[in-house]
Amino acid sequence: MTNLSSVDAIASLGKQPSPGTPEDWKRFFSFSTDHKVIGIQYIVTSFFFFLIGGIFAMIVRGELITPEADLVDRTVYNAMFTLHGTVMLFLWTFPVLAGLANYLVPLMIGARDMAFPRLNALAFWMVPVFGIVLMGSFLAPGGPAQAGWWSYPPVSLQNPTGALISGQFLWLLAVALSGVSSILGAVNIVTTIIRMRSPGMTLFRMPVFVWAVLSAQIIQLFGLPALTAGAIMLLFDLTLGTSFFDPAKGGDPILFQHFFWFYSHPAVYVIILPIFGIFSEIFPVYARKPLFGYKVVAISSLIIVGLSAIVWVHHMFASGTPGWMRMLFMFSTMLISVPTGIKVFAWVATIWGGKLRLTSAMLFGLGGLVMFVFAGITGIMLAAVPVDIHVNNTYFVVGHFHYVIYGATVMGIYAAFYHWFPKMTGRMYNEGLGKLHFALTFIGANLNFFPMHPLGLQGMPRRVASYDPEFAFWNVIASIGAFLLGMSTLPFILNMVGSWVQGEKAPANPWRAIGIEWLVSSPPSHENFEQLPVVIAEPYGYGKSEALISNPDALEVIHEPN
Amino acid sequence: MNIRRILTLVVVAIALAGISLWMGQQAYSWFPPQASAESLLVDDLFSFLVTLGTFIFLGVVGTLTYSVLFQQAGKYDISDGPAIEGNITLEIVWTAIPLALVIWIAAYSYQVYDQMSILGPMEHVHLEMATAEAAPIEPSTDSQMPDSNEPIERIEVLSRQWAWEFRYPEQSISSTELHLPNNHRIKLTLKSEDVIHGFYIPAFRVKQDIIPNQAIEFEFTPIREGNYRLRDSQYSGTYFAAMQADVVVQSPESYQQWLAQAAVQPPKAAYNQAFEEYRRASETAINAGWKTVVPAAPPMVNYSGSNQQNKGL
Amino acid sequence: MNPTEIDPSLTSGVIPSQTHTSDGTAEHSHDEAGNSMFGFIIFLLSESVIFLSFFAGYIVYKTTTADWLPAGVTGLEIKEPAINTVVLVSSSFVIYIAERYLHVNNLWGFRAFWLLTMAMGSYFLYGQAVEWSSLPFGFTDGVFGGTFYLLTGFHGLHVLTGVLLQLIMLGRSFIPGNYDNGEFGVAATSLFWHFVDVIWIILFVLIYIWQ
Ligand code: HEA
Ligand code: HEA
Ligand code: CUA
Ligand SMILES: [Cu+2]
Repeated sequence: MTNLSSVDAIASLGKQPSPGTPEDWKRFFSFSTDHKVIGIQYIVTSFFFFLIGGIFAMIVRGELITPEADLVDRTVYNAMFTLHGTVMLFLWTFPVLAGLANYLVPLMIGARDMAFPRLNALAFWMVPVFGIVLMGSFLAPGGPAQAGWWSYPPVSLQNPTGALISGQFLWLLAVALSGVSSILGAVNIVTTIIRMRSPGMTLFRMPVFVWAVLSAQIIQLFGLPALTAGAIMLLFDLTLGTSFFDPAKGGDPILFQHFFWFYSHPAVYVIILPIFGIFSEIFPVYARKPLFGYKVVAISSLIIVGLSAIVWVHHMFASGTPGWMRMLFMFSTMLISVPTGIKVFAWVATIWGGKLRLTSAMLFGLGGLVMFVFAGITGIMLAAVPVDIHVNNTYFVVGHFHYVIYGATVMGIYAAFYHWFPKMTGRMYNEGLGKLHFALTFIGANLNFFPMHPLGLQGMPRRVASYDPEFAFWNVIASIGAFLLGMSTLPFILNMVGSWVQGEKAPANPWRAIGIEWLVSSPPSHENFEQLPVVIAEPYGYGKSEALISNPDALEVIHEPN
Repeated sequence: MNIRRILTLVVVAIALAGISLWMGQQAYSWFPPQASAESLLVDDLFSFLVTLGTFIFLGVVGTLTYSVLFQQAGKYDISDGPAIEGNITLEIVWTAIPLALVIWIAAYSYQVYDQMSILGPMEHVHLEMATAEAAPIEPSTDSQMPDSNEPIERIEVLSRQWAWEFRYPEQSISSTELHLPNNHRIKLTLKSEDVIHGFYIPAFRVKQDIIPNQAIEFEFTPIREGNYRLRDSQYSGTYFAAMQADVVVQSPESYQQWLAQAAVQPPKAAYNQAFEEYRRASETAINAGWKTVVPAAPPMVNYSGSNQQNKGL
Repeated sequence: MNPTEIDPSLTSGVIPSQTHTSDGTAEHSHDEAGNSMFGFIIFLLSESVIFLSFFAGYIVYKTTTADWLPAGVTGLEIKEPAINTVVLVSSSFVIYIAERYLHVNNLWGFRAFWLLTMAMGSYFLYGQAVEWSSLPFGFTDGVFGGTFYLLTGFHGLHVLTGVLLQLIMLGRSFIPGNYDNGEFGVAATSLFWHFVDVIWIILFVLIYIWQ
């Protein structure tokens, strides 16, 4: 059997060469069912949308560099932040993390592919489709949606042109498609993790990244349907004239807020949990120490999942929320800092006393962690109702979430890109450019998002195209930081594209990292393993010189000529 | 653990605590002036959170910085660090301490919220016992807290896309500027005619979304004379940013004077920025934006403010 | 479904008939039907949250709306829907019998009871259509009209999907060797049918009984 498969593998090598060989680029544009191809498809597509979302942000910051509404019309400004938020969440963070999960999870648990490869491809190909639907809304009469990424009614139900196919309609359609895609992806990933682990890969031998992805995808499964329900009702209100959320007809606009946040709060943990996973993978490698308190770190992800389902009202403290509800959700929200703190302290303890190597991946990991702790602390401030009453819907909130979402999430994603780039492409990246990228990003992000906190405390509302002159100082700094942040993507793109095309060839394990994905060639061959790895140890055995699997020499389908 | 390490830790902790306390004091200066009784409570709470937050942040980041500075591997050093996989005591400590902190923060916040008793949605049940509820529930030791014998002002706040209008029912006056007597408990009824708006006065640290079809009771106490800004805080469409108004807190005497003056003025259309901008835009031939909801006509009010033209931007 | 066996090379759970895939690189080392069933179950769990959300919305509206019933509407007639309910709920037992027949390889028994399930499902849809056409209120008549049609319509769509799935499974039963790889399609359709039934029971209690 073994021989036979090797022969087949050699035969198939002609069809499925390793990514990176130029003639092979075509398959990234095909309906491939290989989880590694799909992973890269997700990552590249979503990065493209990240740039688009970033350009919208540049327009936002361009408008806000002066107090007057002068750069663009108010309607355009409103469309810009609506699309910026929507694109960044639904077309960048969710798909890019789905891509990383797709690429890494089967390799990390010792599977040859995802449980449902065709479903996987289908879920991916919906991303460009709803991306085009959303971008197409620029052509709709009345322009794209302008009700913010929450699309609260009644504002979202106001349709000045009266056209059926309005920007808001296309927005809802895009979000619904995104939901379907995410649910299909979640079903696939959860099934893969639960049922496709290789022999010996017990739950408590899974890398924390896998735990985190599992937890995040469970949230998708229970959260997204609530958003879908709300979106369906909003769509009927918008197009057929039902009265679910329209107060003018006896509907209840607050109910929509509950539907929306019941999903969209947990959604922030869908975003951050895989980042926690990335941190947990990266720190041990570059500190050369085992992950401190592995089991507790793994379990705390599930605790966060549980808590994430019972805190959504903290987005509605100043809304139609009675006092008792405010107090209840204040407490549940604050509780999240306990499992999160466990993780943070575990990472610090992992790094402490290690033998640190400050590669680009490690720098982004550390930078992301620092910004996360800052954001977590402002999060606790927001959770305190009396403080939130003051800063709700101000730039303080915008500052809080960009610290998590840019500072922690995007930096964490960059860390992952650098760390697994050699694995994915078979090439090494350029460390110098990577460090330049880090410096620009770290400085830019803090210049950009720190000023939002004093602005919010001073009372500057979010979603405004114009503001009182007293806010000008910090806004100028924020805008300069934003442009710097925009520039920071250039060395990154240069590095990735350049290295992929002509970087130095990467060995199987350039970082001397422990993990199944590092035991196969870079990039791994189609179907990953000849023989499934037989796991005999917990992950992160740094300093212990023990074997992770019992059959390291039997994994490779074919030994590529070096 | 030897004595030296314990001593170092203690010294570091004291230094951090010092910096954190100093930060906590700085926090007061990050806000607009404290113009309401509520703002005193909120700022205290925030200062406490800043103190605590600074300590946690510096503790974590300081440790990381130390590692980064002093624990890097040499260029040719490919050895591993010590294979420490965990420490139960430590893990219990860093679970228990945040839990205790969180309970503390929540309890303090609860207390502050209770003292503010700004009411809010679905709390109009208290309406019948309004006088009893008017003052903070705790008998206040704070000298600046007004005593509950003071009369209560009842004012109606009407919001629509994109204008604020304030009605003083007892005097049947309307205004686009919110005048309030100093050191009096103010009771507002918030109403919206179209979408959700947000009533927000940063100097007072109070905010409440206004839900269409609901009359929301809202209370606070201004304690400092001066001019402040009222902003719409819940995104309400095209001219959202322009939906602002002035708040004037004045001595009870000049407030009564203002009421009397306003009462004799005939209602006239006030300046409304959204309406103006829309009118100007529809006069120019090319439209740089998309079709918008048409702003409501400027409110007809007895009093429309002193310096209307340069209001907002 | 299929017995799984551990083979010596520790590539566990190989289904003999699936050791070779079309591209032939390596055998698929997992129990695909089992995966599909697992995936389908979590999909249904997720799907049920949509219904739960609608139910929660319904309860909120019912308990807070001032003018719950539209003008001129006194309530819902319960007799016809009750008959409908009985038909739909009993079809859950009928489909179970069909499955048992398949297990003992009695194909005609399976087809007969399968067809009966489809008939009962179709009757339910017919009954629903009749009820809809006779109601004095529409989708846009207040929150009551909206939620009523939303809930019954969304559920009806699921019944329709179930009947269509059953039709496909019925057709497939005529393909020789269709069940060699297990009965995943039939088992999943039947599970879906039970799911649709349970949802209806909750829906019936909420809308018709709790008036
Ligand atoms: C990845 C995204 C992400 C993450 C991880 C978080 C994490 C948290 N968020 Fe954030 N949040 C957002 C994204 C995120 N948030 C977004 C996008 C919005 C706005 C959406 C919009 O309005 O458009 C938002 C808004 C938001 C609000 C609403 C504000 C408002 O609109 O008025 C609140 C209020 O409670 C809040 C709280 C929190 C809390 C308590 C955490 C906690 O999880 C943080 C926990 C972490 C720590 C506390 C630090 C580490 C812990 C320790 C070192 C232990 C010791 C600490 C203590 C004892 C305090 N967030
Ligand atoms: C993952 C999520 C994410 C990310 C990464 C970002 C990234 C950024 N965001 Fe974010 N933002 C949100 C999610 C995110 N945002 C959300 C959810 C909202 C709320 C929306 C709402 O209120 O509804 C929001 C709102 C928001 C606002 C508030 C708008 C308002 O309330 O009026 C602002 C204002 O400064 C802002 C700024 C930025 C900036 C400067 C970046 C920068 O990081 C961007 C960096 C820029 C780039 C990466 C682009 C690089 C491209 C180029 C340099 C162009 C090259 C050009 C050509 C080739 C032509 N964002
Ligand atoms: Cu006006 Cu919100
Ligand atoms: Cu939240």
